[in-house]
Amino acid sequence: MVDTAPGFPGLPKELGMAVLHRALRKGGDLAELFVEERRSLSLRLEDRKVEDVVSGVDRGSSVRVVRGPSTYFGYVDAVDELSLQGLASRLSSGGDGRPGEAAPIVEGERGTGQSVEQRPDGVEVSTKSALLRLVDETCRGLSSEVRQVAAVYAESVQRIWVVNSRGVFATDERTRVMIAVTVMAQRDGVIQTGRETLAHYGGYELLTEQAVCDVARKAADKAVVMLSAVPAPAGRMPVILANGFGGVLFHEACGHGLEADYILKKTSVWEGKLGQAVAGGHVSAYDDGVGAGLWGSAGCDDEGTPCERTVVISEGILTNYLSDLLRAEKLGLPLTGNGRRQDYRHLPYPRMTNTYFGPGSATCEEIIADTPRALYAKSLSGGEVNPATGDFVFGVAEGYMVENGQVGVPVRGATLVGSGLEVLMSIDVIANDLDIKAGMCGKEGQMVPVGSGQPTLRIRELTIGGTSL
Amino acid sequence: MMTVVASSPLALARAALERGHRPGVALEVYAQFGRTLSIKAFGGEVESVASAEPRGLGIRALVGERRGYAYTGDLSATGLDLVLAEAVANARAADPDPFVALPGKAAAYPLVAGLWRRGLSRTALADKVRLVLEAEAAALGEPEIEAVEETTYAESEARVAIVSSEGVEAQMEQTFCYLYLLAHARRGTELESGQGFSAGREPADLDAVSAGQEAAGKARVLLGAEPCPTATRTVVFDREVAAALLATISAAFGADAVQKGRSVFAPLLGEVVASPLLSLSDDGLAPGGMGSAPFDGEGVAQQSTSLISGGILTSFLHNTYTARKQGAGAVSSGNASRSSYRGLPGVGSTNLVLAPGRGSLDDLLARVGEGLYVESISGLHSGVNPVSGEISVGVTGRLIERGVAGRPVREVTIATDFLTFLKGVVDIAADSRWIPLYGSALCPSFAVDGVAVSGT
Repeated sequence: MVDTAPGFPGLPKELGMAVLHRALRKGGDLAELFVEERRSLSLRLEDRKVEDVVSGVDRGSSVRVVRGPSTYFGYVDAVDELSLQGLASRLSSGGDGRPGEAAPIVEGERGTGQSVEQRPDGVEVSTKSALLRLVDETCRGLSSEVRQVAAVYAESVQRIWVVNSRGVFATDERTRVMIAVTVMAQRDGVIQTGRETLAHYGGYELLTEQAVCDVARKAADKAVVMLSAVPAPAGRMPVILANGFGGVLFHEACGHGLEADYILKKTSVWEGKLGQAVAGGHVSAYDDGVGAGLWGSAGCDDEGTPCERTVVISEGILTNYLSDLLRAEKLGLPLTGNGRRQDYRHLPYPRMTNTYFGPGSATCEEIIADTPRALYAKSLSGGEVNPATGDFVFGVAEGYMVENGQVGVPVRGATLVGSGLEVLMSIDVIANDLDIKAGMCGKEGQMVPVGSGQPTLRIRELTIGGTSL
Repeated sequence: MMTVVASSPLALARAALERGHRPGVALEVYAQFGRTLSIKAFGGEVESVASAEPRGLGIRALVGERRGYAYTGDLSATGLDLVLAEAVANARAADPDPFVALPGKAAAYPLVAGLWRRGLSRTALADKVRLVLEAEAAALGEPEIEAVEETTYAESEARVAIVSSEGVEAQMEQTFCYLYLLAHARRGTELESGQGFSAGREPADLDAVSAGQEAAGKARVLLGAEPCPTATRTVVFDREVAAALLATISAAFGADAVQKGRSVFAPLLGEVVASPLLSLSDDGLAPGGMGSAPFDGEGVAQQSTSLISGGILTSFLHNTYTARKQGAGAVSSGNASRSSYRGLPGVGSTNLVLAPGRGSLDDLLARVGEGLYVESISGLHSGVNPVSGEISVGVTGRLIERGVAGRPVREVTIATDFLTFLKGVVDIAADSRWIPLYGSALCPSFAVDGVAVSGT
């Protein structure tokens, strides 16, 4: 296989096997070759101008060899045969035993592959610039208090090839497009921002003018509404978490702690709890790698395991952890298709795909009417967890006080703090309005695209950090 | 397949510039070669060894007043032609902006000693493995420490060259390495965590035992932690927490944020923005600072710039673009930050240096008397709004009672905003330490009055 730009035909199976044999020639329990080509383009609009037009090619290969408890890993920014063989030689050199075995490739089930109607790299860049200018007009047209609009368009088309000594050979092509809008509004010296994203695992056809204007309006609206916000109160009270990005709750409170590397190291509060009740019987939760168009979906994970929809909590019972190849083997867990990596420059780890609580039967309006006093957290701004303790924090970007069952004054500057084990048990009612939002998740110095969602739900009590005491 | 011979980033960059030369187009080539190694340990064994020799380049193209950017890791002749063509096409797709410009040739670059240390490549892999296992063992050897994770030794050798059609020709080499670990202490059902680190330019600079003991110590002091009553308190920020907060605030010192109306400091140049005790600078030449270098991400000489002097806001940080946009004789302060060839240079701090006060941390706690000593912070990336300046984050630490750090607290949040925080600084210690975890900062511990602490 010769590296011929602009495209490259792919990884022939024979070369893949040859590289694995070379990597294992001095011993090893597992070897894997991962090859990737990704083309990206992004445009950024700010100050009414399309100013950062950046495109690039990331193309490279990595080899992983596992010997006992240790993993040896290396990558090159190349995909030609010579580079791959050289990489395999370098990584084999630490071994001193008999050659490890590479099983013959088994043709497994292929994923159905993504259906993309309009490839983003087939759309003129001037069309994308025009879309960003439309966002700018829409935001500024909403209110004279809108001072700044920043919008980013980004697309990527990623192709991967994975072959390993367990006999797996898989390929996947992932197209992702997104628009992110951040609006800054100002009134009497107070500045507030509102942010909204439209992101799909799919083609350019998803970015219709209507969908894009909708996102622009929502971002501008959030910023302007928050200008009237008063400082959030501090203390403990019920919290109604809105649907959509309220899903950060599950991601932080539970999701990370279910990743099998933390389970293996016994540094997760969820370790040893499979089969136990961790929430009320009305609560179920999923990690869904095949949800159509969801940001964290793919045909297979970055180790070649087909993606699937995994039930992690079934009617209150903790049912599954999220595994990758190594941890599944070490813990005797089923493969769940969660072995993901940022790119060829990184090792895979157990990562979430799209996580969400399943819907209940109440409506959002019923929940609010039923609650005398609460913080209604409409948008969250991301968060952080210590998987070992289960303690989490997340920021409330857009919140309102609920008084006497009615949504009232907007509040700003609130942080929600809690413990993962407690908060799941404190979910007392769930609505039927499931919505899933796109985000990026960071772990081990790597970012991967994920979906986070939920229906509107109520938590009996959480600690709120605000400036108003 | 024709290969472009690239013995060094400078040779590659020059070859690319020559190849891309065309009338009406200004070009800048940023070439980066590196060697990276990271070793992780767990349970007394090597968990992983990862290594690579990344190479790539990025092209900034200016066609009139339009700017485009493209990058590639494909350094073949065809790869170079493609990336040069894409950069120019991207420029044509951008809107004109009269302030886009490439910097001119630098008069001279400052000499920054000790950036490249031979010990990095001369130390055997086995000795680096020994360091990471030593750090872990030192933590595990402490009482009540149940587990240690993320124990990492990492190093990088970076070689960068920047050449441009405007006459910039710059090259440099740097080495960097660090040890990091997270220790977990257990008492009954309670688990507390603490981090430790040691950083330098070659393995001989690192102290594995000290890093391990630091992580263990920080975890253990929190055992028995409970929420504290909600109240307004004087808060002493541990120097590492202070460095993290300052790093988040530092984005607001960038002229890019100021010019785009994204900084609370925008209207306050020359005004009081902090306590008179507080002086902060961005020092791109500080010996011992990981952000130090002869030149920034676009080949402009780095320097030391005062940000806050005795509480007064003295300067913003500039790159070539923001200086042109500012006009009135503004020049780049050498703060064009670029972490890799895969992106445009922005504006960023090099090394943040907070002037020390007096005494040790214990002296500071004694002077403060009553309050909260914050030792770790969480939710920083989501809990700080750099535009409005609002800060709302989770913290753990210990109550300060009768001048001493006492009862540990957890599940507590603090809320404030940049200006209130900076103006509320009432006392500063002289326990400064180089902290490379959040950018690079040389920071002492300090006390802030009037912080809203929310617990029970």
